[in-house]
Amino acid sequence: MGGELRYEIGQNAYIKLILHTLKHKTSAVNGVLLGRVSGGDTKPVVEITDSVPLFHSQIGLLPPLEIALVQIEEYYDQQGLNIVGYYHANERFDDFELGTVAKNIGDHIYRYIPQAAVLLLDNKKLEALPKGKDRSPVMQLYTRDVSRSWKLVGSDGSSQVTIKEPSANIVLVDYISSGKWQDIIDFDDHLDDISKYEHKLLFSLFFHHLITYFCE
Amino acid sequence: MVSKTDEAQVNRLENQVDNGGGGAWEYLCLVRKLKLRRSDKVLKHGLSILNDPKKRSSLGPDEWTLYEQVAIAAMDCQCLDVAKDCIKTLQKRFLESKRVGRLEAMLLEAKGSWAEAEKAYTSLLEDNPFDQVIHKRRAAMAKAQGNILGAIEWLNKYLEIFMADHDAWRELAEIYVSLQMYKQAAFCYEELILSQPTNPLYHLAYADVLYTLGGLENIQAAKKYYASTVDLTGGKNTRALLGICLCTSAMGQLTKGRNKEDKESPELQILAATALERDYKQRAPTKLSLLTSTLRSLKL
Repeated sequence: MGGELRYEIGQNAYIKLILHTLKHKTSAVNGVLLGRVSGGDTKPVVEITDSVPLFHSQIGLLPPLEIALVQIEEYYDQQGLNIVGYYHANERFDDFELGTVAKNIGDHIYRYIPQAAVLLLDNKKLEALPKGKDRSPVMQLYTRDVSRSWKLVGSDGSSQVTIKEPSANIVLVDYISSGKWQDIIDFDDHLDDISKYEHKLLFSLFFHHLITYFCE
Repeated sequence: MVSKTDEAQVNRLENQVDNGGGGAWEYLCLVRKLKLRRSDKVLKHGLSILNDPKKRSSLGPDEWTLYEQVAIAAMDCQCLDVAKDCIKTLQKRFLESKRVGRLEAMLLEAKGSWAEAEKAYTSLLEDNPFDQVIHKRRAAMAKAQGNILGAIEWLNKYLEIFMADHDAWRELAEIYVSLQMYKQAAFCYEELILSQPTNPLYHLAYADVLYTLGGLENIQAAKKYYASTVDLTGGKNTRALLGICLCTSAMGQLTKGRNKEDKESPELQILAATALERDYKQRAPTKLSLLTSTLRSLKL
């Protein structure tokens, strides 16, 4: 018998997606999670190592999503990573439900991997972030159970999502206060102007982190 | 919904003002004209003018418009004290004004006092039943409270009277898409295309909805509207070009095994693919190989 499945998200993937939600505060946003399943049967873990911000408008439309998924599959396959999940942030502050569009896209992602994780932004937790010392991600985790519906994973079970780097929320709060969310480019931005794309940001996020690290 | 040139102009001005290069009033006017929602910037730069007596007096009568604009931006940023101050200033200047009364009701909304806001709007409407802004606030309030179906109802009632309000049709279409009610969204875009047939963004949105609805007929129609978008934008719209490729691929799947005569000619797809590759080569060369493999996988 194997161990219970864990979900772990890397700092880079986590911060990028939160910043994405903050760049578009007045609309729903979504994106895809990349990574791999490892740990075998004894300590299975879904490692989320990267996130790709997708859209901040008309999320329920198929054509941009189809194009994005084809490109993402292609690009990350070359790096040995798979699509392992999906993230979503609702338009309204007090909306804590996983809506039908999110569920449908989740179902699509489920076809890539049955252990697919759907992360929904928890606005209240995000708001409380600068005041507290919470190390857990400001997201709710949903997984699909045998009844084929998306169920919220409670914080009492071991099958919840943790952040790999314990100080991630501190870095996140720092990035938020310095307005780093302005630099996020998502797939919508790329489709509007193909000269904009995401990889420059990856470099700049990482670089900033290095500087902070060496200057401490 | 703004054109690329308008957006570029606003962003340029915004950058200029953000970096201390002046032009704040020009920026604020442009944001107001284009009806953009950039409340944090409007609040910041608007207040810097209002709090400077010299700058404020140089505006002349436009000062009051700025107070209104800043009040609304403040409410959007939940800076309710700032909003209250602006409204108070306007109240002193314009006693018994309906326009200021509207702002007061919006403040109630921003506080979350829904019932009181509703009462305020109803009473304002008694004296002015054709105030479009107030009618739309009701839909906005329903949406803010999570009553999406109520918002739809209000918007539909509104559009029966004010059927030329394009923003309302677009808002309704976007709400329908968020609820996956694609047929109803399509109807809204049809209305918009009828009234503004040369606006490519409506053709594009309509095509996206048709494709999402699916089925051979809808995808054939989607292809036509992607093509008209390409036509109206001089071939510069990436989404439309990609849409043509998606449609051709989807139609190929749906008509597999059918008579060769039923199949469409591949010219349009080839033209679209060529245009895309040329554009990527010029403006996003590092992404060109990704595009090429995407197009390849679509042709299957």
